[in-house]
Amino acid sequence: MNIIVYAATSYLITAVISFAVIGVIVGISKLLSDSNA
Amino acid sequence: MLETLFNVFPGIGTLFVQEPLIAFARLAFIGLGFLLAYLGFKRTLEPLIMVPMGLGMMAVNAGVMILEGGQIGTLIISPLVSDTDALMNIMQIDFLQPIYNFTFVNSLVACMLFMGIGTMADISFILARPWASITVAVCAELGTFVTLVIGYYMGLTPNQAAAVGTIGGADGPMVLFGSLIMAKELFVPISIIAYLYLSLTYAGYPYLVRWLIKEEHRGIEVEYDFPDVTPQAKFVFTVAAAGLLCLLLPVATPLILSFFLGVAIKEAEIEPYQKLLENTVTYSATLLLGLVLGVLCDAGTLLDPQVAILVVLGITALAISAVGGIGGGYLVWKLSNGNYNPVIGIAGVSCMPSTAKIAQREAFAASPHAMIMPLAMGASICGVIVSAIAVGVFASTIGLVN
Repeated sequence: MNIIVYAATSYLITAVISFAVIGVIVGISKLLSDSNA
Repeated sequence: MLETLFNVFPGIGTLFVQEPLIAFARLAFIGLGFLLAYLGFKRTLEPLIMVPMGLGMMAVNAGVMILEGGQIGTLIISPLVSDTDALMNIMQIDFLQPIYNFTFVNSLVACMLFMGIGTMADISFILARPWASITVAVCAELGTFVTLVIGYYMGLTPNQAAAVGTIGGADGPMVLFGSLIMAKELFVPISIIAYLYLSLTYAGYPYLVRWLIKEEHRGIEVEYDFPDVTPQAKFVFTVAAAGLLCLLLPVATPLILSFFLGVAIKEAEIEPYQKLLENTVTYSATLLLGLVLGVLCDAGTLLDPQVAILVVLGITALAISAVGGIGGGYLVWKLSNGNYNPVIGIAGVSCMPSTAKIAQREAFAASPHAMIMPLAMGASICGVIVSAIAVGVFASTIGLVN
C-alpha cells in the first residue's frame, strides 16, 4: 500500500474507533441514567 | 608516566584512545547533561525527567573505562547485549542492567506511567461535551499521520516513520511503547527527543495559541451542562471501553489495560491503590525512566546520522498536531454556532494535564470569565485515548506499507 493512502486510511480507522469508544461511553451513560430514573 | 596517569584516571584516558569524533561527542554530551539537569533545576524543563536524565547522560559519557578484554565501556548499562549467557553475566556487573531488561524493553515502565495517568483522568470531564472533545482530539492527532509520510520520504523505513510519528500524540509513555514495538533500534533517540520536546511544549504552545487564535475567540465563554453521572455509570463505561479497545487493538492491550486500570481504580474509589499509583508507582517509574534514558545517551548511540532526522520530525509532529487541534477547535466552534472556545483545541494534543492548563491560562488572559478547564481536561483525556488507538492501529497494520 502507498504510504499516503496508508496514512489517510489509518487516520480514518483511528477516528472511527475513537468515535465508537465515545459512543459506548455516552450510550452506557444514557442507559444507566434512564434505568435509574 | 602519561600511561600510568591514564590507567589511574580511565575516564580521561579513554578520551585519548577513542576516535576523536567520539571523544569530542562525549565531552559535548557531558556538557549537555549538565545543561539539562540545570534547566530542570531552574524549572525551564520538566525537573522530574530532566534532572535524572541529565545526570545519567553526564555519568555514562564521563565514567568510561577499559573493561575486561580491552573493550571500552561503563559499569552502568550495556543495551546491546542480547545473548542469554552474556546477559546473565552483565546483570551482575552493570547496576542498571536489570532495570533496563525487566522494566524498559518490555514497556513495563511505560505501562506503570499509564496507570498513574489513568488515576489522574476523571472521565466525567469527557461527558461535559463528549463529541466536541473527541473531535478536537482526533484533529490533534494530525501530526502523527503527517509525520509518518514526511519521515518515510526522508528515508526512514515505514516502521521507523510510524514510531517517530507517535511523538505527535504528545504522550511520553506512548512514544516509548510505540517505538519499542515498531522500531526498537531507534527507541532511545526517539524517546529522548520526545521527552525533550514535551518538556518544551509548555513554553512553546502558548505562543502558537496566540498566533493562531484571535483574542476575541480566546475569551469565549462556553455554556455546557456538567452531567450528573453516578460512580457506577463511570465505572461501567470505563470497563466497557477498555474491553472494546483491547478487542479491537490487541497489540496496544498493555497500554489500554494500564490506562483504564488507573481510571477504574479511581472510579471505584479504592484509595490504597489510588495513592499507590498516583505517588509511588508514578514517581518511581518517572525516576527510572529519566535515569535510564539518560544513561542510554552514550556518544556512540546519538552520533547516528538518523538522529538529526528525528530531531526535525519530532518538532514537526508536535507543531502539526497543535495546528490540527486548534483547527479542530475552530471546526467545533463553527458547528456549535460559536458556543465553543477554539483554545480547547490545544488541549486535544493531550500531554495531560499540561496542555489543558495552557488552554485555561490563555483563555483567562483573554477574558477572566472564560472558564474552560473541565472541557480542556475532557479534550486532553480524549487525546490520550486517541493516541493509544493510533499507536495500536500503526503497530497492527504498518506491515501493509510497501
